[in-house]
Amino acid sequence: MENSNVFTLAGVSYVIQNTPILTGITLDIRSGEHWALMGPSGAGKSTLLRLFNSLISPTSGAIRFHGQPLESTDVGRLRKRVGMLFQEAVLVNGSVRDNLTLPRQWVRPVPEYAEEQLTEALERVGLTPGHLTTQARSLSGGEKQRVALARVLLNEPEVLLLDEPTASLDPPLARKILRLIADLQRELNLTVIRVSHHPDLVRSFAGQVLFLDKGRIVEQGPIVLLDQPRTQDFSRFLREAQA
Amino acid sequence: MTQSFYSLSWTDVFASMVLVLFSIGLLRWWKIGLEKTLIIGTLRTFVQLSAMGYILTYFFGQRHWLFMVGLVSLMILVASYEGYRRQKTALHIPHYFIIITGVLTLTVILVLGSVLTFILHVQPWYYPYAMIPIAGMIIGNALNTTSLTVNRFVGELEHREAEIDMLLSLGAPPRAAIHDAIRESVKAALLPTVNSMMMVGLVQLPGVMTGQILSGIDPLIAVRYQIMIMYMWVTASTMTNILVLALVYRQFFTPRQQLRCDLLRRS
Repeated sequence: MENSNVFTLAGVSYVIQNTPILTGITLDIRSGEHWALMGPSGAGKSTLLRLFNSLISPTSGAIRFHGQPLESTDVGRLRKRVGMLFQEAVLVNGSVRDNLTLPRQWVRPVPEYAEEQLTEALERVGLTPGHLTTQARSLSGGEKQRVALARVLLNEPEVLLLDEPTASLDPPLARKILRLIADLQRELNLTVIRVSHHPDLVRSFAGQVLFLDKGRIVEQGPIVLLDQPRTQDFSRFLREAQA
Repeated sequence: MTQSFYSLSWTDVFASMVLVLFSIGLLRWWKIGLEKTLIIGTLRTFVQLSAMGYILTYFFGQRHWLFMVGLVSLMILVASYEGYRRQKTALHIPHYFIIITGVLTLTVILVLGSVLTFILHVQPWYYPYAMIPIAGMIIGNALNTTSLTVNRFVGELEHREAEIDMLLSLGAPPRAAIHDAIRESVKAALLPTVNSMMMVGLVQLPGVMTGQILSGIDPLIAVRYQIMIMYMWVTASTMTNILVLALVYRQFFTPRQQLRCDLLRRS
């Protein structure tokens, strides 16, 4: 499956209440790639991300997942294979263990996670087994994101969608979490699609970049585009983001 | 025991209006600004209930089951329309009128049917003196709590949008993703009824029982009626709330298990 297309988008548009949010998106995402979606606020980055795990469906155009039309895949299974982290980590009331074992409640027969799986998931994201009994609400912002990441990883995804999960964290902590994600990507051969505003963070971790403006792709390609933007819009965006 | 202890003439009813005049005086003194509304309310109470008295007298004189079934169906339709109209959030929920009418009909059939047949053993089952007031109580109470539940449910969806998206993104089916929203909505709507069951008889006597005692019924008989009515209320409310939400929540999801944010934005 190396270098095969995980996602293929052909002429994808998304309109809500007569307002176009995305227009004519055509894009190939290959296995193991790390994409950074960039663009000003309201460019449609989060909307594009939500299309990948079918939290929304395109108004027109086609999305294929491993060559299969997205609408013909089992949505529950798709969402497990395409995990997502949001800007704010939403944890349910209860302990870290309750949060990690949450997804198994929806599967019949109920799978039993071995204790080692839970502790391994926590250690993978830089937490300790002692955190299992900690109440979720008493965790810091960074710890919450780590628990949310561990929870997604327990689903054994092949794609990770990141909707600025480090936006509310201070820069050193954000960098730490992104480093962790980059390590996990290599270790688990994950495909990562991530919304980001910071060129520095994109340069450090991503391999491909896509610049959206007003719902349209302005530029897409390898990370060197950050140093050699082809359009004025992207160039201006990068200047402003770095300022 | 059915003879009235204190028969109330129309002159007595007019005399009771003096109490309202006293309230109007108080409102005026404190410049609350509610006098006009209260006067209209007082007159409407008089006119509507008097008219209802005459209408009920006519209905109670009818002896055909089809007439009674038609009447209860009309009550359900009027109540459903009122419930639909008074909720601005519900106007955007697809099929809401059909849902509420269907659920109210089912509740009336099951609860009213059980009360008339197995509890009161009314003969014939459509005996208007039993059927009409009990149907009215079931429909009115179920409708009020349902309005509260649906309003609260829409509010919970708006408040929990991020949580619901997170749960869906982890592979949760819609029912699991909105379980907390449903639980909070049903609790909020049913708590007043359940609390009134806790407090009934301790502080205040319920209206039905007071009315029966005033009209000369043995208090022990009146309490039995009241207990049955309380059980009937809570059953009808629980049933309607759960069934309405079980059908309403589906309207907020697409077949691809996506939360329909467009409905929330319009609410």
